[in-house]
Amino acid sequence: MLAYILRRLLWSVFLLLVVSFLVFLIFYLLPSADPAKIRAGRVQDPDVIAAITRQLHLDRPWYEQYLFYLKDLVLHFDFGRSYLTNTSVRSEIFGRLPATISLALGAAVIWLLVGLPIGVVSAVKRGTLWDRLAMGGALVAISAPVYWLGLVSIFIFSSDFGLIPIFDTNGNYTDIWNDPGQWLSSLVLPWLVLATSFAAIYARFMRSNLVEVLDEDYIRTARAKGLRERRVIFRHGVRSAITPIVTIFGLDLGILFGGAILTESVFNIPGIGRAAFSAIQKADMPIIQGTVLIGAMGIILLNLLVDVLYAFLDPRVRY
Amino acid sequence: MRPIPLRRLLPALIASSALVAAGCGSGGGSSSGAGGSEAPGGAKAGQGRQGGELTDLWASDVDHLDPGQAYYQSSINIERAVNRALYSFSPKDGTNAIPDLADGQPEISQDSKTITVHLRKGVRYAPPVNREVKAQDVKYAIERSFTTNVTGPYAGVYFAEVEGAPAKPVAISALKPFSGLQTPDDYTLVIKLTKPVAQRVAAALVMPITVPVPEDYARKFDAKSPTDYDQYTAFSGPYMVVNDPKTGEVTGHQQQQKIELVRNPNWVKSTDYRPAFLDKIHIQEGNTDQVVAARRTLSGDGLICCDSGQPPTTILRQALTRNKNQLGQTPGGGTRWVAMNTKIKPFDNLNLRKAVIAGFNRNELRRTRGGKIVGPIAQGYIPPGLPGFDESGGLEGFTDLDWMQNPDGDPALAKKYFDAAGKDGVPVSNGRYAGSQKLLMITTNAQPGLKTAQVAASEFERLGFKLDVRKVPQDVLYTKFCGVPKAEVAICPNVGWQKDFYDAQAMLQPTFDGNAILPSNNSNWSQLDDKKINDGIAAATTLGGAERDKAFADINRQIVEQAPAIPFIWDDQFQLEASNVQAVTNPYDGIWDLAFTSLK
Repeated sequence: MLAYILRRLLWSVFLLLVVSFLVFLIFYLLPSADPAKIRAGRVQDPDVIAAITRQLHLDRPWYEQYLFYLKDLVLHFDFGRSYLTNTSVRSEIFGRLPATISLALGAAVIWLLVGLPIGVVSAVKRGTLWDRLAMGGALVAISAPVYWLGLVSIFIFSSDFGLIPIFDTNGNYTDIWNDPGQWLSSLVLPWLVLATSFAAIYARFMRSNLVEVLDEDYIRTARAKGLRERRVIFRHGVRSAITPIVTIFGLDLGILFGGAILTESVFNIPGIGRAAFSAIQKADMPIIQGTVLIGAMGIILLNLLVDVLYAFLDPRVRY
Repeated sequence: MRPIPLRRLLPALIASSALVAAGCGSGGGSSSGAGGSEAPGGAKAGQGRQGGELTDLWASDVDHLDPGQAYYQSSINIERAVNRALYSFSPKDGTNAIPDLADGQPEISQDSKTITVHLRKGVRYAPPVNREVKAQDVKYAIERSFTTNVTGPYAGVYFAEVEGAPAKPVAISALKPFSGLQTPDDYTLVIKLTKPVAQRVAAALVMPITVPVPEDYARKFDAKSPTDYDQYTAFSGPYMVVNDPKTGEVTGHQQQQKIELVRNPNWVKSTDYRPAFLDKIHIQEGNTDQVVAARRTLSGDGLICCDSGQPPTTILRQALTRNKNQLGQTPGGGTRWVAMNTKIKPFDNLNLRKAVIAGFNRNELRRTRGGKIVGPIAQGYIPPGLPGFDESGGLEGFTDLDWMQNPDGDPALAKKYFDAAGKDGVPVSNGRYAGSQKLLMITTNAQPGLKTAQVAASEFERLGFKLDVRKVPQDVLYTKFCGVPKAEVAICPNVGWQKDFYDAQAMLQPTFDGNAILPSNNSNWSQLDDKKINDGIAAATTLGGAERDKAFADINRQIVEQAPAIPFIWDDQFQLEASNVQAVTNPYDGIWDLAFTSLK
């Protein structure tokens, strides 16, 4: 197992290198604006631009620029500085990471707690009114875009002007160690909104997987052995049906760690997604590179975690 | 100066004559209460309840806290609360600057080449600097703006004539003290100029470049390129951004997230005209959905909103009828237009340009921005409230220029000019353009600009033009297309300009002077290069008083006669406040003045 984890970690480093290289190449080959001109601001003096060009190594060949970037990244964990504001990308991203993680983890807990039981019950009560209502509801939830659901929920529940003013909504996020009460209050609605479509997807996944598993021979055998139905379903059915869902969960959570752009924007949560969105609009490449790398790290590490979890969930898996 | 779509900045300096003539007292304590003039928001400037906390909902962020770099309107809003320039504008009067850090009006020599400013005593920096502000700090503030480390956005434009100032920014290590900035004592600054332009330079002393920067503290930050002073700014105003009192590191500003203002413990009220009622001000950023921000403000407590943006039209209409006492409205001091590139065929033909304007439905363009409530139809390029506006015919404009007269469009008149263009060899047919080439139109991909562009495109197509319309992000719109002559963009349908100076020069020179055409960051989007206009601008800049206003009104007329663009709005500026807030608008830039705002 340890050898496997080490091997996967090495692969992760390689993958991150590839991602960083591709992102660099994309923005090098297709720049939306000259970085030196962005940094120069309103003073577009050719001498100033030339000096900035030299300072940022923009006069060097692309591979040298990449090596400079990589050197700072590997040796100092330095993602560079924003072209626009000259702030450190590392502090910008890590300052926003708690908000993004809070949002993603909270929503994940909700969608797992809601989506999986609904899927299980639907599978067990296949073809009943409950099943049809649950799956129909899931379809509606999947079809509702996050930004629409977010705005509607704000107009209904916002403590400032909602019809049922119960939740703090826009811009009231604070880190948990500053004010746990406000942290919770500001995240309840974003969690629910972000979790809605995920819960629906997971419910449908769980149902279809479990329906398939419950038709397997070993389930019939378990029942024939006289095991209680609850034990058959949870010990033998759900445990097997959940394995592919864990894979998807790892990916989804990893992607959200890279920023839930729409949810963060609608609820004005200062997370990585909003930073990435703003940077893309302004062609601020160091921030974009940083957010992409953090997102990639999230996906790669969570995938590794998921693969390790397999060994515990599925007795057939051995590393 | 800057284009309106970039979310406005720097409004007004001030007319030099107004500055010199300003009669407001400089002594302390004018803030204490009585007699404030009625501000557009309904509150009286200078009156309010002491204490409390306010939250200001912003969509965006300041560009810089460093006064040497700050330029955008939102930055000026913060600078006004946390720093003190030599002169500034009180909400009571947005056109006449009053002494702020200065202790009286600037003394201008007979030859108009020397300005002497005396500084107020007893003004102290916030921690960690703590010491008293001295004239040497203002001298250093101006000098550092000429370095590549700071690259002050307008230093080389408005202060180029200071003796010893480098023609181009230099590294701070190569910076030599300016012979034209002398400090005979700690409270006197003498500015010597190479040209007799003291009136204009004195007018520019309201800009944040004159906010004091303590060299003994800032030099180590300025040594880096670009400077780190943005993250270690020293504050001299009634408020300060929360910082580490030992290192000075600004911890209360998190990019695109928030700015936390608290009282400057070293502020001496008797030295300032600002009342500074509030104890704390939270700038909450990222409120990009302005419907939500505006509704929160109208329904909530302790809130004001919308930084330099316009509340959405639906909210604005509601506020105008149901929440009028929660609305601040001032003339925005800006003009919006559709630029036609006079260097590109067929817009190189004057009659064709007149035909386009005559046939264009400018009311439809204005409707995309909210209609009549957002401001009058522009008839020229000097907006209401600026010197030269009345001399340009006021809201009616130049009534003898027939192509400007019907904002709904006049097909018969358009045909007349199309026919005239036809005689010049331009392909026209039945009162429409008949050329076959596609003209490049670049527009922002965001609303409401996109809607304006769509209407403009349909108007051009109605007049017979074939277009290649490309939608791009707002930032790229200028950096790659409309601001780059080499990009050969024929039509930029969403451009505009707001004053830097309280002076028509700041409106007309950057936007229509042929000498101002730049290879990048160009703001003469029509690329109008008319010798008579260029020479007229050069001559008018040396004039003063009524003569100057008349000269710029004449230039305004000459520009309209050249029909380089389709002006369609003189924007008003709107701001919202919660019902328990007594916000005060500063007419200087049309936005809430944090140092005058209070809770009810």
